[in-house]
Amino acid sequence: MKAVLVTGATTPVGERLVRSLIADTRVKHVLAVGIEPREQAAPLPFGNRLTYVQVDLTRTRKVRELLFGPARDLGVEVVVHLSQHRDPNDKGRRVHRVNVEALRSILDLAHRHPTIRRVVVRSFAVVYRVGMELPVFVTEDHPLNLAPRAPQYVRDRVEADLTACARMGLSNAEIVVLRCAEALAPGTGSQLYDFLDAPVALRPMGFDPMLNVATIADMVCAIEAATHGSGEGVFNIPGYDTLPLSEACRKWGVPSVGVPGPLVKRLYGLRRRVVGSQFSYGLNRRRLHFGLVLDGTRAREVLGYAPCHPVDWPIGAPAPTSLPSAK
Amino acid sequence: MPVHPTIARAFARAVGGSKVRERAERLAFADAGHGYDAFGLHPDFVAIGDAIASPLHRRYFRAKSYGAENIPATGPAILAANHSGTLPMDGAMLWIDVLHQTSPPRAARPVADYFVATLPIVSTLFARCGVVGGSRGNARALLEAGELLMIFPEGVPGIGKPFSERYRLQNWTKGHCELAIRHGAPVVPIGIVGAEEQMPQVARIPAPKGSPLPYIPIPATLVPLPVRYHIHYGEPIPLHEEFRPEQADDPAIVRDAAARVKASVQALLDRGLELREGVFR
Repeated sequence: MKAVLVTGATTPVGERLVRSLIADTRVKHVLAVGIEPREQAAPLPFGNRLTYVQVDLTRTRKVRELLFGPARDLGVEVVVHLSQHRDPNDKGRRVHRVNVEALRSILDLAHRHPTIRRVVVRSFAVVYRVGMELPVFVTEDHPLNLAPRAPQYVRDRVEADLTACARMGLSNAEIVVLRCAEALAPGTGSQLYDFLDAPVALRPMGFDPMLNVATIADMVCAIEAATHGSGEGVFNIPGYDTLPLSEACRKWGVPSVGVPGPLVKRLYGLRRRVVGSQFSYGLNRRRLHFGLVLDGTRAREVLGYAPCHPVDWPIGAPAPTSLPSAK
Repeated sequence: MPVHPTIARAFARAVGGSKVRERAERLAFADAGHGYDAFGLHPDFVAIGDAIASPLHRRYFRAKSYGAENIPATGPAILAANHSGTLPMDGAMLWIDVLHQTSPPRAARPVADYFVATLPIVSTLFARCGVVGGSRGNARALLEAGELLMIFPEGVPGIGKPFSERYRLQNWTKGHCELAIRHGAPVVPIGIVGAEEQMPQVARIPAPKGSPLPYIPIPATLVPLPVRYHIHYGEPIPLHEEFRPEQADDPAIVRDAAARVKASVQALLDRGLELREGVFR
């Protein structure tokens, strides 16, 4: 029986994880942390085994008060860090503090914390570099996107990922980094969801890359496996569905139109300014040209995680016969 | 090029007939869900490639194959062949020959130069038929999944070799031997006779700056000549049995292994040239 602290508990993934942990008999208590006041965290299943605290993780003092206050008192052994700024169009120091500095504080404090034994960090497939010279089927040693001109959304995620990786083996707490496939769900900051949610999906003409998409349910399964597992390391967390972009559009029921590259960038720029869409073509340009599918072999072998929740496509999907992690 | 597989299937049936359909249905491939493998291969698009390339293979180039029993029926293997002909028709003919000569049919995975992935439409169509970019990660994943990798160790210099250099192997890269040793795959040497005369190249123009193409070839003919293809499969070289995986890091072992493969391919070419009765026969 262990107590688990979950940051970003009011996000769609966090909320689902908290529910799942409360239903788990191996978990004695969940300390849910969010930026919202308790009244706005209403969807959480409040009860005897859940404590919700409102904390601004960008303030180091608040993080210390959290970890050496309620977390220590509850005997928290595992910290699951899900908190990330989700709008890719927002920039600046505050966004960086949310994305990177909050994690740095948690890792610093976990090193000397009396009860925390394990920190699970959710990272993203977006940290991987995509290009013509790179593999489509990527393992954990795939090059990261360290391009200085990459958007802050990507740079922050890479920095957070590397910040966690750099502590592995040096901290008293075990550190696990889960590089998750994009969850095709609203409110998760999914660029693909926003891409597909448009009346018409504009694709670079002549390209149809392979994608791997996950569901919140699979992501929660992977985080739970990492929460209860032992050892540390980096793991790719693929989703159940591997398919080309055009097929994803078709199953989503959105017409897709091939448009010459320079034009598609302008059209998406215009769309963002007019209707305030979160989809950024600059962020996804390479992903709309070259495929990227996560190899989940390591997660399957070490964590025992295998994706088993397909996306609920609006237009029926055939049952996949094997999984990307089986390669 | 978002052609739905249903349309691809109908096209392949209309053009290729029952044999093409049957081959597509029996094709061995690792479905990653939704009918595609993780690299984008789809049996219905393989059928399209089969329907389009089969008439070229059977009627235009009148390809003959020798020693096809040397292609492993299952498990990983690397097919290493000479490369030539200005246009990669040799790759297409070898791909279709392997598809026809194996039972159940195996779609070889041609390893293409990086620039192919940047070509609109072509990149997608090739990926649906099994072509992959030439990165180590792709090769590793495919060999571990037990696929047939089709590699042209001469690379782009091979396809662009001048007519005077025909049937003389160019700089022979070594990566295929390293992959074979590391991932436990035999190497099948292949000599393709005929392709080197199909489209003599008289000059080449440097590609414009920013173009993904390595150069622009100037061939003597507008279309490939109807030369006869003779595809000679040599006995598999069991590098994976002779060396341990960790020996793939030894440059001397890899260099010697690549030299052996090159010599085997050259021997197949020499024998093929002796056996054939003429360029078009």
